[in-house]
Amino acid sequence: MTDHASKQYDLDLGSIRARVLQMGGLVESQIRRAIDALGSGDIALIDQVIADDHRVNGMEVALDGDCSQLIVKRQPAASDLRMIFAIAKTVTDLERIGDEAQKMARMAKSIHQRGAAQAPPTVDVRHAAELAISMLRRALDAFARLDCDSAAQVIRDDAGIDSEFRAILRQLITYMMEDPRTITTALEIVWIAKAIERIGDHAKNMCEYVIYIVKGTDVRHTRL
Amino acid sequence: MRRVARHAAAAIAALAGIAGALSGAAWGWGVLAAGLGALLLHHLLHLSRLARWLEAPAAGKVPEGTGSWSEVLTALHRYERAASAREAALADALVRFRRAAQALPDGVVILDAENRIEWCNTTAEMHLQLDGRADHGQPLANLVREPRFVAYLAAGEDAPPVRIERSAGRALILQLIPYGRQQKLLLSRDTTQAERVETMRRDFVANVSHELRTPLTVLLGFLETVRELDLDAQRRRDYLDMMREQSSRMQRIIDDLLTLSVLESAPPPAAERVPVRPLLERLLADARALSGERHEVSLDGSSTLDLAGSEHELLGAFGNLVSNAIRYTPPGGKVQLLWRESAAGASFAVQDSGAGIAAEHIPRLTERFYRIDRSRSRDTGGTGLGLAIVKHTLARHQGTLEIDSRPGAGSRCTARFPAQRTLPAGPGLDATPPAASPPPPPATSRPGGRS
Repeated sequence: MTDHASKQYDLDLGSIRARVLQMGGLVESQIRRAIDALGSGDIALIDQVIADDHRVNGMEVALDGDCSQLIVKRQPAASDLRMIFAIAKTVTDLERIGDEAQKMARMAKSIHQRGAAQAPPTVDVRHAAELAISMLRRALDAFARLDCDSAAQVIRDDAGIDSEFRAILRQLITYMMEDPRTITTALEIVWIAKAIERIGDHAKNMCEYVIYIVKGTDVRHTRL
Repeated sequence: MRRVARHAAAAIAALAGIAGALSGAAWGWGVLAAGLGALLLHHLLHLSRLARWLEAPAAGKVPEGTGSWSEVLTALHRYERAASAREAALADALVRFRRAAQALPDGVVILDAENRIEWCNTTAEMHLQLDGRADHGQPLANLVREPRFVAYLAAGEDAPPVRIERSAGRALILQLIPYGRQQKLLLSRDTTQAERVETMRRDFVANVSHELRTPLTVLLGFLETVRELDLDAQRRRDYLDMMREQSSRMQRIIDDLLTLSVLESAPPPAAERVPVRPLLERLLADARALSGERHEVSLDGSSTLDLAGSEHELLGAFGNLVSNAIRYTPPGGKVQLLWRESAAGASFAVQDSGAGIAAEHIPRLTERFYRIDRSRSRDTGGTGLGLAIVKHTLARHQGTLEIDSRPGAGSRCTARFPAQRTLPAGPGLDATPPAASPPPPPATSRPGGRS
């Protein structure tokens, strides 16, 4: 960051960034627990994931407030202003990822409560989820380090999750055609896969903000 | 130094006085001014050189000086040299300390009072995906964001160490240790392997109990029946036979467990000569006896080498491979014993035409009590420990076990021995030909044993 006359200003900005990253860590663990619970059918864990979403929401509200306060109090310019804008947007994306994790947990719960005997396998979903978690982690790392190169890499990797999603969809369609009894569960797995695909999109957005902070260029809706 | 300055001032004053006396006051003042001007120029010149050096003090490059400056600069030079020697010693100590921390098997991160990264070793870089250079000064919680760890970092050193999973299936234990002025050391240890071993141990105990309980339950059931019911002689004998069968099954499991524990704890076997040719003949005879004409059993390969090791253990291991092949090959199939020699060593293999094994099972076959199909192997009388025994025996002979198999294409289990475990076949070989086969006329070439 640039040198500021006021040390307090630096501290404020640093603490907001640190809390954004902590929110990211919480969201990441929400996804991991949701996908673990989908595999193991641990209903207590699922309920905990669903309940913990309010913590993510609380962090979003608090961080939004702090951002506005900082703008009013310090009237930041140039790279600091970009940083605060990007933080506000990153927080929104993180909150959405939290919602997606909660959605995954809800679907996992209904799959396991039904106890469908002929449930289609969820191995591919797990693999896609690992990809999404890795994208989110690298996006947050890039935000912490303000590293444009790895941010650009994450943006390119989003195509991988999209193609995973299409492959899962194709596979589930064959299951549903072979045995209509699997349709309810298969549709729920589709929702989970869609949530994972959305997580990839949000991670990609976060990386675009990182590039915006560092370079000041808006790379949204462009090809890298 | 003061003396030099005083001398210069006195010289200028004396010169000015002489000039004043000889050529009048004006000349005297002129010489005084010129002398003072020259002195000022001399000082300014040295001052600017010193200032230039102080801007970027390069070691050993303290400017030299003349007159009153020479003493000052020499003293400064001495001081600078001592300081850089001290600095080098400190830097050296730091390098040595970091090298020591680098060599630790655990990850080490040094944190400052604000939990920012000051330094980390490569193990920590690997464990926590850090970059020691680029992440210097970065708050650690910005990069290691697991909520459990962040809470631990906030709670301080009194909390118990925390376990996190950085990526699927890789477990780390993180522990904070405070030291010095509010500095902290973070240790990270990869416990993936330890946890795996712990799981294996738990599984093993559970498996042993299960394997022993099954025949015991059957045994107890029959005992109750025989005691309570009035059975005719034939039924009674049948039941007693089944009870004996279950008891001998338990006996076999316990024997195998004891064998395994001996193999694990005993010192490596003495390297006595194990004549291979009679060993192969005996295995072939055993295989035929076990098969009872139901399989086509043959031996391929002639031995010019003997093995060094324990005959008893090797016979047990090879016998296990042979009896596995016979048991898992349906009647009418082929079982072939193979002996191969090369510059790299020797190998004994058993090739069968059985059902084959799917690839996902192969790496786990040597685990204790691992079963591909729980019902099948117990029917055929296996204890689930055979291949574990083979693997341990071979390891004691620096050998390895290789299993090649595909479903439907049969299996081949190969016991490979390195060259240092082989000996040229001894002279005693021809003197005591195995009783099972007629003595071969030539000493070296034998028709591959195919009969």
